[in-house]
Amino acid sequence: MKVGILSFQGSFLDHSKSVKAINAKPILIKNKLDIHELDALILPGGESTAMKKINEYSDIFLELDKFIKSGKPTLSTCAGTILLAKAVVGGDTVIPNIDIEITRNAYGRQTESFEGSVSFYNNEDIYCFIRAPKITKILSDKVKVIAQHNSEVVGVQQDNIVALTFHPELNNDRYYLDWLESFIKEGENVGTF
Amino acid sequence: MKIESTNKVKKGLAEMLKGGVIMDVVNAEQAKIAEKAGAVAVMALERIPADIRADGGVARMSSVGIIQEVMDSVSIPVMAKARIGHFVEAQILDSLGIDFIDESEVLTPADEVNHINKQNFKAPFVCGATGLGEATRRIAEGASMIRTKGEAGTGNVVEAVRHMRTITNELNEVIACDENEVVALSKKFKAPLNVLEDIKELKSFPVVNFAAGGIATPADAALMMQLGCDGVFVGSGIFKSGDPAERAEAIVIATTNFNDPKILAEISKDLGEPMVGINIDTLSEEEKLAKRGW
Repeated sequence: MKVGILSFQGSFLDHSKSVKAINAKPILIKNKLDIHELDALILPGGESTAMKKINEYSDIFLELDKFIKSGKPTLSTCAGTILLAKAVVGGDTVIPNIDIEITRNAYGRQTESFEGSVSFYNNEDIYCFIRAPKITKILSDKVKVIAQHNSEVVGVQQDNIVALTFHPELNNDRYYLDWLESFIKEGENVGTF
Repeated sequence: MKIESTNKVKKGLAEMLKGGVIMDVVNAEQAKIAEKAGAVAVMALERIPADIRADGGVARMSSVGIIQEVMDSVSIPVMAKARIGHFVEAQILDSLGIDFIDESEVLTPADEVNHINKQNFKAPFVCGATGLGEATRRIAEGASMIRTKGEAGTGNVVEAVRHMRTITNELNEVIACDENEVVALSKKFKAPLNVLEDIKELKSFPVVNFAAGGIATPADAALMMQLGCDGVFVGSGIFKSGDPAERAEAIVIATTNFNDPKILAEISKDLGEPMVGINIDTLSEEEKLAKRGW
């Protein structure tokens, strides 16, 4: 299994460790040639403004958009989720694929970053939220809530895409890795996952 | 459950900056240029290191007005510098809600023995280091990120290279050593034993490590990345050059594509004048900022 990880900047090496831990092959994507026969895609955390700028040179978002629309498993965390949102408060839409409105830096600055309990599918654990965005609106009934912190929506699934505002890649706990493995293995059937 | 400012959250922000460029700016206008060029964070300063060097005198924390102006003008993280050992400057920065504090040798040290106890703050800290001992002492004090000291404000990358190579070589010595040698290496490098034990267990450097001090061109940034740095700080190199916006963008692209000489060649074309450099040999020992810190 080849898992492409957008590697302009951000926590791509942490995601790469997760992918290695489930015995899949991480492919660090920096240009078009790297997007080849991938089984899944991960858009990492980082700074969405920087990723958008770097893409003006690398010009790969259109290819990523095609890959995402092909229905293969796609995971985004934090800034990656901003890239995929259909509406962005305090920023621009980039590869709009998921029917949510997201608000950048919604908890505040770094001093408001936190570790918090998250129910993620059937599990409860503590994850990091780092200058995290908030999913402020769900724009269609295709969007399923799959993760919550207190009563806030912090993770959604729409068909083949799972979009999170927190950082499971900084934990690499057993539940997350098992989930990641089965998510990726579903392949094109992931929509019914 | 919700806990703010844990070590994991502090180190986590540094993880998110990886592969990126952090740029020195002195006002809102420069901060916006940096953000637009793809900076992952900006360092808010009153004067960039090249000017601090030229002006002489005591260099202190920047004015709160400038820091707030920069914080209000961009959506990316904002860092600011406190003097070595000046924990009150750090308290002030922390109370402003700054995203990262740089306890920096670029400013005039306030304490000749002690660094700031960085565990006491909500904001994470980045500190400069010239070798593994210094880096691990800062980590033991609570630093969430390390950078090479280099020689700030010179546009000369030689010291940053020396510091990165030293850190890497000493790190490899710890990783490769027999378990019974860790105590001796702790003495040799003046490195806290518990941090060396962590390194031995992790088999890698325990925090994010950026390059800083003298980086002026896209090739300099790529050099530091190929030497194993996680990202770069560019101080005087951008806003002391002929075309800051172009150069800032080129350094961002170079930092992502550090392993691709064709891309590096392409983006290095038509960049305008780089900052005028200073040969380190011509600096007296007192003029070397990297000597500050203990």
